[in-house]
Amino acid sequence: MGKRKLLLSALTGGVILGAVATAQEQVPSHLQELLELGMHPGHAYVDEGRETFNTLKGPNGKTCASCHGEDGAKLEGAYAKMPRYYTDIDRVADLDLRILSCMTKYMGFDPKDKKFRKEFDKWNGRYRVPLATFVASLSNGMEINVKLDDPQEKELYKKGEELWFMRVGARDFSCGICHTVLTGKRIRLQGLPDPVKAKVYTHWPAYRFGSDKMWTMEDRVRSCFKAYFLYEKKWDEKKDWVKKPPPYSDWVIALELYMKYAANGGVVEVPGLLR
Amino acid sequence: MKSAVVAVAFLAGIGLLAGCQPAAQKAAAPKEKKVEPKKAEKKKKKSATERFRTALANQDKWQKACSNPNQLVPEGIDVETFRKEMLATVKFPPGGVLGKDVKRGEKLFGDPKKGGRSRRGNCYACHCGDPQILACGNIGPSLRGYGKRGIDPKDTYIKIYNSWAVVPCSVMPRLGYHGVLTPEEIADIVAYMHDPNSPLNK
Repeated sequence: MGKRKLLLSALTGGVILGAVATAQEQVPSHLQELLELGMHPGHAYVDEGRETFNTLKGPNGKTCASCHGEDGAKLEGAYAKMPRYYTDIDRVADLDLRILSCMTKYMGFDPKDKKFRKEFDKWNGRYRVPLATFVASLSNGMEINVKLDDPQEKELYKKGEELWFMRVGARDFSCGICHTVLTGKRIRLQGLPDPVKAKVYTHWPAYRFGSDKMWTMEDRVRSCFKAYFLYEKKWDEKKDWVKKPPPYSDWVIALELYMKYAANGGVVEVPGLLR
Repeated sequence: MKSAVVAVAFLAGIGLLAGCQPAAQKAAAPKEKKVEPKKAEKKKKKSATERFRTALANQDKWQKACSNPNQLVPEGIDVETFRKEMLATVKFPPGGVLGKDVKRGEKLFGDPKKGGRSRRGNCYACHCGDPQILACGNIGPSLRGYGKRGIDPKDTYIKIYNSWAVVPCSVMPRLGYHGVLTPEEIADIVAYMHDPNSPLNK
């Protein structure tokens, strides 16, 4: 019995040590090997995005490349400055919203067309995720340089910081309690990173093995809210659950702006690769 | 004469129908019926933006107090008053703080058959307990041997029901306060934690 206990505690210790070690590394070792072999699953998204960028014609005949140049020549470095204020839509936009606005405003897609929205909004749709990954990859090797010049940007940044620390929902969570205050601790075996200080924005959009999908930061931020147990009236009434903030909403973009501003100076390296 | 008889029979028929079947009576007034569900439908179809705004607006004043970069009780708010106000929200189950269904308590704490998972209790996310469950967090203190520490089960109950009555602004969710767990369910968890035969205490 004593022996077994000893073995068990040794095993527990090993697991904990292992978890702490992987939490500290940016990319787990088995993924690092894949990278060295040149087998990054995220690159397929970049290629798909490039193809779509050059060839997909909107209802009025334009492609993304008609304005931004073949292979997005004029978009180099654009992602490093986003989210930022755009005069044409009079809003601060992140990558996802910017692409949506381009497609609906200049390429002629109808924002209310269900078929278009399916391809755009859905995770496995052909438009948003591949295009975002491709456009982000055009800023590879450049320093993140988000400025808060416009009053709307300043306001949204403040909103983002507020939202980061806002305790709300049936679990009394905030982003900050886990990802600023309790950084380094573990939820089960998963180490809690500090996405703000660690400038994790440099490798987003990222491919995640766990879900076998590319995630844009929009997807990431929205999914975080599932843990909050947000509700309208009662948390345990299914109809009252509020799982995620609406896509392309100011809440999401505010948090992105807050995180990316903190990542200023970090070098963009996308697509990232995560467990 | 004939028509008068028919009319009387008709009226009687309506009376009978109305008397026996209130549902049929409602059908006789189609205008009203049509208007009501339409209104109800409109109410149901709130936009995602509105719903999220409502959810955020549900923040209570204590959550608001804790919403600062330190995530602690800010200066200017008395911690003792905070605790007292939180303690006043704790409702106790009629059967006492030690529940009878220890098995249910274990399932809510973290189902050993599912690797310690449990959607609502989910204690293993932050605490270690049953030595069989290796995937346990270290945000909260380990609960191994909890029942042997001489802690009053009532205090355990209060801590789970409303952790902010003990440590204001703690990361531990106020599970009873928000109704994530019912008083009876919390009592079962308390019973599991204090049971000498529980794997926590072996």
